Amino acid sequence: MVSELSPTPGARSVSADTQGVRPPLPVKMVIAGGFGVGKTTTVGAISEIEPLTTEASITSVAAGVDDLSHTPQKVTTTVAMDFGCVTLDPTLKLYLFGTPGQERFGFMWDDLIEGALGGLVIVDTRRLDDCYAAVDYFEHRQIPFAVAINAFDGKVEHDLNDVRWALDVGEHVPLTVFDARSRGSVRDALLVVLEHALAAVEK
Amino acid sequence: MTTAGEPSGDDDTAWGAEAPASVVRPFLLTAGRIAGGDSLVPPMPIETQVVSTDMGLAALDALVFDQHRDIIAVCRQPQSLAEIAAKLRMHLNVIRVLADDLRADGQLALYAPQADSARDATVLRRVIDGLRAIPDSRGAIRER
Repeated sequence: MVSELSPTPGARSVSADTQGVRPPLPVKMVIAGGFGVGKTTTVGAISEIEPLTTEASITSVAAGVDDLSHTPQKVTTTVAMDFGCVTLDPTLKLYLFGTPGQERFGFMWDDLIEGALGGLVIVDTRRLDDCYAAVDYFEHRQIPFAVAINAFDGKVEHDLNDVRWALDVGEHVPLTVFDARSRGSVRDALLVVLEHALAAVEK
Repeated sequence: MTTAGEPSGDDDTAWGAEAPASVVRPFLLTAGRIAGGDSLVPPMPIETQVVSTDMGLAALDALVFDQHRDIIAVCRQPQSLAEIAAKLRMHLNVIRVLADDLRADGQLALYAPQADSARDATVLRRVIDGLRAIPDSRGAIRER
């Protein structure tokens, strides 16, 4: 069967038939948000590899106009998904997956993000509507997430409380401002998500 | 189920510059089997690590299908399912099926992620510590 990696380095002896190559424990985070909001830029700013693109399937729940029964139609669609990774140490590798689009429909990324440590929802303050779907999704799935406003040099014109009100996210959801092009800024935004996730676990 | 070979290209990146898709239709290789989507079998997590076994590497030249050979060759270094799919330009769900076939044949070893990482404070702390050590810019040491 498929082996499960232990979180403790060296806890599992390596079977001889893979030349002693022991893969790192993989963990993942999800980068979500509307079309063109900077998901791939965010992944690329911190990834040790050029972001890769793979074809994956997601399920869209589209209420068809021609559907007389008014039941939502589930449609499996092939989408392009960008991702990157960061080797944190030889035993631990963080993958960052940018969620594919489909903002105007219901969608199910479950197959892609099952087991994610948390999510970062990227927001463009000029198009706040685009991120509602992602916020709703993480809230429903009870995946820890933070909202990050992508702003040039990490500065925004708006008062953060106004943005929070407009987004209708509760006080329990961390809200931060970052610059998707900056490695340090992306790192800090991811840390906001992880510290939020850790606080929830330790509660 | 839509299994279009053409990605919808509706994310941040343009697809115009990509190489043409393989002439072999992806799900032909899996004999129609699919993973994920409407499949009843829970799909393997996309970050599942895959490594070629000695048996797989020894069989490399004897394998009939290019796709099997490519997967084993690329997994000399541990790779995630997502990386294999991206590098070989194949649909993730095709890779899921083929990797599981090769595992059953003893040619690949698969290592699933720890099931409860997201609720494990030890894992979360390790990731936090690892990220904190990343400098602001490439090649620079972060000032604390």
